[in-house]
Amino acid sequence: MATTTSAPAASGALDRLQTRSEGQWVVVFRRFRRHRLAMVSLAILILIFTASILAPWIAPFPRDEIGLNRTRLPPMSVDPVTGQLHILGTDHLGRDFFTRVIYAARVSLMVAISVTMLVAIIGTTLGLLAGFFGSWVDNTISRIMEFVATIPDLPILLILSAIMIQNADLIVLPSWIIGPIAWIMAAPNREATQVALLILVLASLGWVGVARLMRGMVLQVREMQYIESARALGGSNMWILLKHVFPNAFPPLIVAFTLGLNGALVSEVAISFLGFGVQDPTPTWGNMMGFATSYMFNHPWMPLIPGLPIFLCSLAFNFIGDGLRDALDPRLKL
Amino acid sequence: MTTYLIRRLIQMVVVTILSAMLGYSLLYLAPGGPLLFLQQMQNTGQRRVTEEDIARLKARYELDLYLPIRFTRWLIGFPAGPVQIGGMNLISPDTVVGCAIPGQVRLRYPDGTVEIIEEGCVRVVTLANLAERRTSRGILFGDFGLSQQIARDRPVSDLLMSRLPYTLQLMGVSTLLAILIGVPVGIYSAVHQYSRFDYAMTGITFVGSSLPTLFMGVMAILVFSVLAKEAGLPYLPSGGAQGIRNYDVPWIGTVQAGSALDRTLRFIMPCAVLTFFNIAGWSRFIRASMLEVLRQDYVRTARAKGVRERAVITKHALRNALIPFVTLLAGVLPTLVAGAAITESVFNWPGMGRLLVDALGRSDYTVAMAILFISTVLVLIGYLISDILYTIVDPRIRLT
Repeated sequence: MATTTSAPAASGALDRLQTRSEGQWVVVFRRFRRHRLAMVSLAILILIFTASILAPWIAPFPRDEIGLNRTRLPPMSVDPVTGQLHILGTDHLGRDFFTRVIYAARVSLMVAISVTMLVAIIGTTLGLLAGFFGSWVDNTISRIMEFVATIPDLPILLILSAIMIQNADLIVLPSWIIGPIAWIMAAPNREATQVALLILVLASLGWVGVARLMRGMVLQVREMQYIESARALGGSNMWILLKHVFPNAFPPLIVAFTLGLNGALVSEVAISFLGFGVQDPTPTWGNMMGFATSYMFNHPWMPLIPGLPIFLCSLAFNFIGDGLRDALDPRLKL
Repeated sequence: MTTYLIRRLIQMVVVTILSAMLGYSLLYLAPGGPLLFLQQMQNTGQRRVTEEDIARLKARYELDLYLPIRFTRWLIGFPAGPVQIGGMNLISPDTVVGCAIPGQVRLRYPDGTVEIIEEGCVRVVTLANLAERRTSRGILFGDFGLSQQIARDRPVSDLLMSRLPYTLQLMGVSTLLAILIGVPVGIYSAVHQYSRFDYAMTGITFVGSSLPTLFMGVMAILVFSVLAKEAGLPYLPSGGAQGIRNYDVPWIGTVQAGSALDRTLRFIMPCAVLTFFNIAGWSRFIRASMLEVLRQDYVRTARAKGVRERAVITKHALRNALIPFVTLLAGVLPTLVAGAAITESVFNWPGMGRLLVDALGRSDYTVAMAILFISTVLVLIGYLISDILYTIVDPRIRLT
């Protein structure tokens, strides 16, 4: 930028050099595009995501409309009374499966995304502080992390969500948490409370992994020469932390977040499947799966309908994580 | 080493007590439980519930004691009655430790509303009263108290012991199979990196580790039980550890309910799902660790001095690649208890994970807490074992 271009011949060479320089994220995306499965996964995820956003407009039926004369219809069947088409059939109460699957996508994906965001914020902040400041800050945070990591995650997750959901009426969450969640779910506040509690439970246990990873990265970055030179320039702690340590320690965490999305999705599905998560009238892929499995012996297609989106999303998150890992690794030649 | 061990043991005790406190506060904060049941009875008008009923029920579940006393009684079974040393009372036996029937004060507000608040105590519980009660020896010593819902008033430890064999069978066999299959596969993949086998295995293990066991379990039942049965092929029965009625399986004939064959058939699917899931983890781990070691200088040295490739791999590479494997092995320990709650629920397998789910579904928190506590302790023991094993397999590491 500040280089002088006195000779016209040199300026041409410089121009060419400048056009070649690209932002880091452009490079990463170019590398990511080579991972074909990751690109396919991205497309599938975007499709599911769009369908879930458009749910109130594209859903052919009201979400909870029960029809006892059309229960457990197979996919592509026509309602005997109204003559309407149920693309994915109906569930045990005659509710349209397609409608519920896309509404459930809202809940399941929102849980996955908001848990990952919360975990990312808490985890990176604590990891950054622990790694950068060391001494008692690191000691305190590390002890807490060790303690949380000792408690086996599946039992405590089940216990916490069971207690929270069974007492959902007693726990009062502020409306600035419930409001947006209810708006995203397109559902009343009562249903949003369960989802909010589930998000809190999942996030309260999930941050440890991210914090550990961040702390490790910061410990590595902190010893780099550019940090030393930033210090020599007289930079304040805050400036060095935000301007130099954070951007350099962050990229590897992106992969962890993608896999975290999968983890949160799968946990939500499992908890709702076992009946301790989001409760029935609110659809999630987990509780739909729970009901579908009890009818699978006579209606074998039923578990496939919530099962397929779980399968697709789960694989997609993993492939994207894999693609990002390759794209972000500077040592790997693609 | 000794000082390290002592420090670690002290740390373990502290963490155990902390997690016990965490578990207990969850248990304490959780509403529901026996009193709620009584309230429901009163509300539905089944029976008039007297103050005595409530006091008796509270005494039974120790709800009438003050929280710290309840906690120590739950944790270490103290105090079990008057505290005595050589027949002398250390603390007066009349010391108040709880309140059986709280006093009620009727507050009349100026605006006419009336509120009843609990204040003071009509009948207190003293140390001497505690001597008449059943006292648990404390969960630190393996007494988990009585189950509240699942098996009313039976000791939780009985319940756990009745489920433990099923979980051990499932987790033990599937972990063993996964290691026996996963480790050779991982080694072969690493030695023949980028071969067709390697690509196929990394692909399969990638899918295996990314799919939720819930999905795999349901799909397994769908394919091997439901669809196979409909197609008239030999199928695997699903649900439970043994059948109730005899059933016919094509090509095999009639299977006696509860026979060894019946139990084996029912065991195959949950075990296969868990094994498949675990193989993915083990083989990926061994492959990565083996690739790391194969790059080391000592492997090149071994090759350079003309050691046969087979010996290079088994003697030089594999031994070092297995070092991190040991830590992973210790991580298996806690999963032996409640690690397969989801698989067990899908297949209705009567193990500990399933028990946890049942206990939570019926608000039987003493059972749930016992399982949480046991698995936490196992995690701690697992950490300790892996640290000690580390020093044994890798002499470069010294614990100080």
